Amino acid sequence: MSEKLYALLLRLFPSRFRQAYRGDALQLFRDRWRDECGFLPRLRLWLDLLADLAIAVPREHSRAPIQRPVDGVPSFHFLEGELPRVGALVLGGVLSLVPAAAAISAARLESYRLLDGRVAFAAWAQQRTTIPGAPVSLKIDAAERHRVIEAAATNLKKSYVDPGIGAKVAEALLTHEENGDYESLTDAASFADAVTKQMRDVSRNADLTLDYFPEGIPQRPVGPPSPEQVARYRESLKQQNCMFEKIEILPHNIGYLKFNFFPDLSVCEATAKAAMAQLNNADAIIFDLRDNRGGYPATVAFVAAYLFDHPEYWFNPREETTVQSWTRSPVPGNKLADKPAYILTSHRTFSGAEQFTYDLKMLKRATLVGETTGGGAHAGVFHRIDDHFGIGITEVKAINPYGQNDWEGTGVEPDVKVDSADALSKAEELARTKLRGK
Amino acid sequence: MPKQKLNPLPAAAFQILLALADQDLHGYGIMRQIAEQTGGRMRLGPGTLYGSIQVLLEEKLISEVEPRDDEKLGHERRKYYRLTPEGRKLARSEAERLADLLRVARAKKILRGDYV
Repeated sequence: MSEKLYALLLRLFPSRFRQAYRGDALQLFRDRWRDECGFLPRLRLWLDLLADLAIAVPREHSRAPIQRPVDGVPSFHFLEGELPRVGALVLGGVLSLVPAAAAISAARLESYRLLDGRVAFAAWAQQRTTIPGAPVSLKIDAAERHRVIEAAATNLKKSYVDPGIGAKVAEALLTHEENGDYESLTDAASFADAVTKQMRDVSRNADLTLDYFPEGIPQRPVGPPSPEQVARYRESLKQQNCMFEKIEILPHNIGYLKFNFFPDLSVCEATAKAAMAQLNNADAIIFDLRDNRGGYPATVAFVAAYLFDHPEYWFNPREETTVQSWTRSPVPGNKLADKPAYILTSHRTFSGAEQFTYDLKMLKRATLVGETTGGGAHAGVFHRIDDHFGIGITEVKAINPYGQNDWEGTGVEPDVKVDSADALSKAEELARTKLRGK
Repeated sequence: MPKQKLNPLPAAAFQILLALADQDLHGYGIMRQIAEQTGGRMRLGPGTLYGSIQVLLEEKLISEVEPRDDEKLGHERRKYYRLTPEGRKLARSEAERLADLLRVARAKKILRGDYV
């Protein structure tokens, strides 16, 4: 009986699919029916099948090629060449509602399970594949909002770099809650945005954020990485030449360095030095950071040191300003300190790569060519509140000599705005013009 | 089927490639392997499974091998599928892309440790 019912439902698929896989689909149904006995497993099986129909039937129809009749030859039209019948649409609609309701309740169950904080990272990564249309912003109730506000306030009081302001921001949030200002914010993402705005308004600090992650925040791995993991990491860095992708001398003796990461110096110092040495005799240098997603702050400062003949204050929004905050210039034997420098940027340029870009722009030591960068300074230290909410709190006092805000959320604007694909040729042209003018 | 169908690679298709990484499997075998490798979180229904298999076959990322019985499941001929070298290559590049994402997650301090 069940198999017959499923066979009937398979008619919703386009004929091309049915011809190829009807037998296989029924075989799979029989296999699961045999192996999944009992009320709950069978119920789950049916929910799975209905959810599958709701997703796969429209997709298969959209995939099916339209039957083109050949002139003069009588031909039959299959469903995919025509609009579906009204009856089929109604049946499809009803069938979609059932799994949609099931999926929503599954999503809720899933998130409650997540909230108890026992789901590991791998599970988190896979979890999103089980909910059709995920991620969606969750609906949250007063209890959850209260929990988030309480945790945010506690973290702010405990960790904010300026205890006075931290307490003020915390109080502001608690007052908003007391006044019922959050009552209408039942959507998790809007709630996070509103709280973020309030924290920034009170603190005048753009690095404070309340973040909502619909997909869940992975648990921190327990304990330090194993020696094998460390060895594998080092090995893979070396295999990729420490992410230094291209080191070339372009026409007109322009040095070109494309690197996609600022790697750990304990593994890659020799590679970084060798790369810079290879370009030492260039008349100008182009740093291609279009695919650079960041890296170690020490490496960012290490590479920048080649561009100065004296120690230069090197702003890092994530670190306390100390004597370490100056570049270690001059670098012995280096000839690049007075050469024109260009940085190629894209919207993918991120984090540590943006620090390199931002600082050299502010120091007027490089010309930025390309697109506005990604906008991730993440100077706040991330505190996990639960599996969906986290708060970024500024915990260190870094002196930004260029103004109050860094590039968080806004990115670094290039000096010469061009499509990132054209950035290299534009920078070469600028370098050539500059060198000719000498 | 245009290449765009698999760009980005749907989760189901990627899981199928992974399921076939070390053995030939029939449809139900693939479904069970995926359920196992995702800790029961992903159970592909027949429509999604065979829809994805069809696209993967068309893109030559998997191939069909000689049908045979699976003794554990009774005497029924079953189509078996095998990962092609292209399929393996795509699975690897997808895994690398995910590793990249992971790096971004670290950069965002979602994952702590030596960042960025």
